[in-house]
Amino acid sequence: MIALAIILTGIGSYAMRAFFIFALAKYRFPPLLLRSLEYVAPTVMAALVISMLTTPEGELAAGVPEIVGLCCAAVAAKLTGNHILALLAGMVSFWLLGWFI
Amino acid sequence: MNTAPTQPALRGSLDALPLFIPALPFAFVFGVVVAEAGIPEWLGWSSSPIIFGGAIQVTLFTLIGEGASVAAAVSAALIVGARHMLYSVTLAPRFQDQPGWFRWVGSYVLIDQVFVLSQIKPIDEPVAFRRYFLAAGFTFWGLWMICTALGVVLGPAIPPEWGVEFAAPVLFVSLMMAASDRRDKLAAAALAMGFTFLLASLPNRAGILIAVLASVLIMLALRRQPT
Repeated sequence: MIALAIILTGIGSYAMRAFFIFALAKYRFPPLLLRSLEYVAPTVMAALVISMLTTPEGELAAGVPEIVGLCCAAVAAKLTGNHILALLAGMVSFWLLGWFI
Repeated sequence: MNTAPTQPALRGSLDALPLFIPALPFAFVFGVVVAEAGIPEWLGWSSSPIIFGGAIQVTLFTLIGEGASVAAAVSAALIVGARHMLYSVTLAPRFQDQPGWFRWVGSYVLIDQVFVLSQIKPIDEPVAFRRYFLAAGFTFWGLWMICTALGVVLGPAIPPEWGVEFAAPVLFVSLMMAASDRRDKLAAAALAMGFTFLLASLPNRAGILIAVLASVLIMLALRRQPT
C-alpha cells in the first residue's frame, strides 16, 4: 500500500510539472499573461516562507528569533545577492537570539 | 544578464550547490518522518527518485504515519505540490523553443530551487538555457538522492533542539529577495505573505496556491490602471 501511494504521488507530481509545459507548447502567450507570470516566483517563495512559519491550525509558529533571523536574511540577500551569506546571517542571528532569550 | 554564459552547465551546477545546503537538514527531517511512520528505509528512500520533491515526500509519509488512507495521503501530498503547476505555466514559453526530450526530462527536475534559478538568471539562448537548467536540476537531484539516503539512516540521531530545519524558510526568504528585483515584485511578495497567513488554516496548505493567485491578480489590476 505504501509503495502504491509513492507511485501514485510520483505520477501526480510529475504530471503537475509537465502539464502546462506540454499543453502550452504551441500557445502564443498574450503579453498580459507573460507579465503576470513575472510575479509567480516572488509570491510563491513568500507564501512558502509563511506556510513554514504557521501551524496547520493557522497560528504563527515563530518567535522573536525566527522573525529577526528572517529579517537579517532578507537584508543580507538584498545587500549581497549571495544565498550563502543570507543563510549565514539568518541562521547565526536565529541561533544567537535563541540562546540569549 | 540576457547573454549566454560561457559555460552554462558549470554555472548551473555551481548555482545549485549553495541552494542545497538548506535542503540538507530537510533530508534529515525526512528521515525522521520515515522512521516515525514505521516505513522501511529503502521504501521511504525510493520516494526520492520517484517523487523528487521534499515537501511532497514529507507530507505523504507524515499522513501515512498518522494512519491516513492512500487516497487521503496522496491527495494531500499533491495539493502541497500544486504550486508546481504555476512553475509549469511560467516556464512553458521558455520550453517552446526546446526539443521534445527536454520537455520530458526538464519537467522531472522542475523543483522550487531550479524554478527560481531559471527566473533570476534568465538565459535567452535555448541551448545555454537547457544546459543550465539540466545541470542545476541534476546537481540538486544527485545530492538529494545521497542526502535522503543518509537522512533515513542518520536522521533520527540529530537533536531537534538545534533547529536546523529553520534553514528552509531562511533560504526561501533569500530566494524571494533575489526574485524580487523590482519594487512591484516585492509588493506582490508582501501581499502573498499576508494572504498566506490569513489562509494558513486551510487544509493541506491549499492557502499557498490561493494566496499566490490572488496576489498576482491584484498586481495585474494595479498595473493596468496607472496612478
